[in-house]
Amino acid sequence: MSGTMRVLVLGGSGYIGSRLCDRLAAAGWATPIRASSRHVSGNGVRVDTTDMASLVDALHGVDAVVNCVAGNRRAIAEGAKALVLACIEAGCPRIVHLSSMSVYGPREGAVRDDAATDPSLGWYARAKCEAEHCMTAFARAGGTAVLLRPGCVWGPGSQLWVGRIARYLNAHRLGDLGAAGDGWSNLVHVDNVCDAIEAALQLPESPGRVRAYNLAAPDSPRWNEYFVDLALAIGATPVRRISQLQLRLDAWLGGPPLKIAQAAFARLGRRAARLPDPLPPNLVGLWERHLRLESPGAERDLDVRWTPYGTGLAQSAQWVREGAPHA
Amino acid sequence: MISHADTIAMNACLWADVCIVGGGPAGISLALSLSGQGLKIVVLESGGMREHAQTQALYAGEVADEKLHSPADKYRQRRLGGSTATWGGRCVPFDPIDFEKRAWVPDSGWPISYEDLLPFYPQANALSEAGRFAYDADEALGADAPPMFRGFESDVVRTDSLERFSCPTNFGARYARRLQVATDIHVLLGANCTNIGLETGARAVDELEVKTLTGRRFRVAVRAAVLATGGLETARLLLASRNTTPAGLGNEHDVVGRYYMCHIAGNVGPLAVRGSPADVRHGYEITPEGIYARRRLGIAPEAQREHGLTNAVARLHFPRITDPRHRNGVLSGLFLARRFISYEYAKRLNDGAPPSAAVYARHLLNVVSDPIDTTAFLARWLTRRTFAQRKFPSVILRNRSNRFSLEMHAEQVPNAASHVALTDRPDALGMPQLRVDWRYSPADIESVRRMLDLMAAEFERSGVARLDYDRDTLEDDLMRFGAYGGHHTGTARMGNDPRSSVVDADCRVHSLRNLYVAGSAVFPTSSQANPTLTLVALSLRLGQHLARSLGREAAPQTLRAVPAPAAVQDDERMAA
Repeated sequence: MSGTMRVLVLGGSGYIGSRLCDRLAAAGWATPIRASSRHVSGNGVRVDTTDMASLVDALHGVDAVVNCVAGNRRAIAEGAKALVLACIEAGCPRIVHLSSMSVYGPREGAVRDDAATDPSLGWYARAKCEAEHCMTAFARAGGTAVLLRPGCVWGPGSQLWVGRIARYLNAHRLGDLGAAGDGWSNLVHVDNVCDAIEAALQLPESPGRVRAYNLAAPDSPRWNEYFVDLALAIGATPVRRISQLQLRLDAWLGGPPLKIAQAAFARLGRRAARLPDPLPPNLVGLWERHLRLESPGAERDLDVRWTPYGTGLAQSAQWVREGAPHA
Repeated sequence: MISHADTIAMNACLWADVCIVGGGPAGISLALSLSGQGLKIVVLESGGMREHAQTQALYAGEVADEKLHSPADKYRQRRLGGSTATWGGRCVPFDPIDFEKRAWVPDSGWPISYEDLLPFYPQANALSEAGRFAYDADEALGADAPPMFRGFESDVVRTDSLERFSCPTNFGARYARRLQVATDIHVLLGANCTNIGLETGARAVDELEVKTLTGRRFRVAVRAAVLATGGLETARLLLASRNTTPAGLGNEHDVVGRYYMCHIAGNVGPLAVRGSPADVRHGYEITPEGIYARRRLGIAPEAQREHGLTNAVARLHFPRITDPRHRNGVLSGLFLARRFISYEYAKRLNDGAPPSAAVYARHLLNVVSDPIDTTAFLARWLTRRTFAQRKFPSVILRNRSNRFSLEMHAEQVPNAASHVALTDRPDALGMPQLRVDWRYSPADIESVRRMLDLMAAEFERSGVARLDYDRDTLEDDLMRFGAYGGHHTGTARMGNDPRSSVVDADCRVHSLRNLYVAGSAVFPTSSQANPTLTLVALSLRLGQHLARSLGREAAPQTLRAVPAPAAVQDDERMAA
């Protein structure tokens, strides 16, 4: 298919990756190749993203790669390193890399695209920072690298920021948290993330320079407001006021046994869907953090037009009401 | 940023686009609403994060009649968050009629309308953590919500308006982190503004003078200053700033400190409802957002106009607690425990002569003979109030008798003779103390009387209930505890005419270019509603005005990220 851009999408069966592949396939100017560690059907390849040889194979004849890989430290950091080396070897000139706002560390207040990174916020942030360094190296070697640092990617289909939150709300484990939920949610609609990726694929080449863009809708509310709005929209009412103590007990005492039970279920090959979601302590920390991601570059260079918060909320609530499938 | 005033160099001069005096609900709401717009905001808060006796003592003053008004240092808190540290959390907007000039209420009429304030109420509601701005029962609770009295329909007496309850949220604790994180806000704890200095020509504020209890002094040069120190302290600071104008600031026409209002409150009745107790809703409902809300009895605006009434409401209440004849174990338990309850909340448990041993014995008997109710109540109180984040707002008893008293909460007619003034006695910082001379007028009582008559007639007509009250003791019933505590309003009233008001429609002192007042001091009339929600809304409106008028000339600065969190600086030194 000459004339169209061949785009390898790593993590192509994930929330963002699968959405992106569908959109690229429909748009026509690009041919997406869905790459996943799981088995994929149709126009897709199975790739071990930490294995360079596997990546070099997949990158053959590819014009750009989008890295939407999620997972553990190894998948993120080692995967980024392998990807950069494979791109250089296979001659793929462009990487659009999905990073995270966690690279900004524990700082609070308004944070723009050009703020310094800080890997001190746990293993995830460290891995994401390492991955960004690999992308910098790729640019220095003559490639074009675009880093996207989204806040919390939501919308219909988002287990992480809609499905899971809805389940906490229905179980009255979450509600209005007071000061503990006063942090900014930095929600960004999955469509806007796809918009940004598509624009990043078409940016002029810029060898030697890494461009980084925050992605968070300027009208995204504080967590409390999101929790109350979603609870009202899905009928998880009356919304409870949750004390900091309850939240901490849930995270620190309830979390480990639930995690272990989930792992045990998985080992036995059972679906863990009936188990309550554990409440990770870092989530509790996120909700009270006053970090406001500002995204001037995404509006300026990537021409992102933010989906209004109300639209995202209505779509997400409808998805929940229609019986959002469990993770 | 939040820091202590003792970290400022002696005799330094700070600079602010807007300096807000007072970090209570008005000052905090205003500061937060101004943030992020390129202005440098300084908040001078006298107290710290907790109550501090020496700081609280700066509120001390004289009261003309101690039966009519509580001591000057009660019902208010000199600390970050102000009196929201101890408030009950009742949120009610003012009614459209409150803003109108009413021929039958002398000196009524605001220079702004309900519609001018309406855009700011939803945000005020959110800051107060009282959920959505929905005060109509059908809108907030759904059309299926039970009525106050089944079968009661009236065009005169309304039962469809709600009061909603904040957690009750302490604005200081709740918003400390926002203030800390904001790089354009500097909150100084332990900072007492003791004088407002004017430019040559006395047309504008030049500098605010600040003192701490440890003897430090400094100044803040301002483009605009806002007094947000509450209904009593705002008048005190205006009157005490008399270096260039001997009568005090904004006091060219002797209006500052006058028209001082609280609410007329007391219990009257009984109201005997006919039929089944199940057909009466006297307690709290929970809205979908999880907010406690409760219906109240009010008089429709058309009927207020027709009968020349002030605005007032009545709530269904239990019998007088101090009288053991109610034979209720919970109420007697409250009476017996009143020494463990704070002054503000125990006040209405102490009335009349000291109780005799026989009265104690009868209360004790009530507790012992009503063990199930008393235990159930205690259990609910512990789980829903003591250990709950969102507190059950007040004592609600199971309705067995269908007999209630009516808890009245009524507007006062503005009265220039009701006033606060300075004394010759200085506080620890050299500022003259305040003398409070609160007064009510026969018209205040008369309006409640006519409201009760109207309600009695409507209940009788509908056949739902019978309201009796003792006409001869009505004034005593309403004045038993004097002015309703904490609702200090009117001492720097808003108006278009400088001869009868202190600030204009933008809350700016008429005679000064850049001095503003936020808070209930500016209310020209007091409404049936509690003041906090409306003073927060008015502060947000002032924020918009200031941002527009100062922002035009200001060089835009963008918010910059601040480094990793540091704990909110507390005032350990003050406690030491």
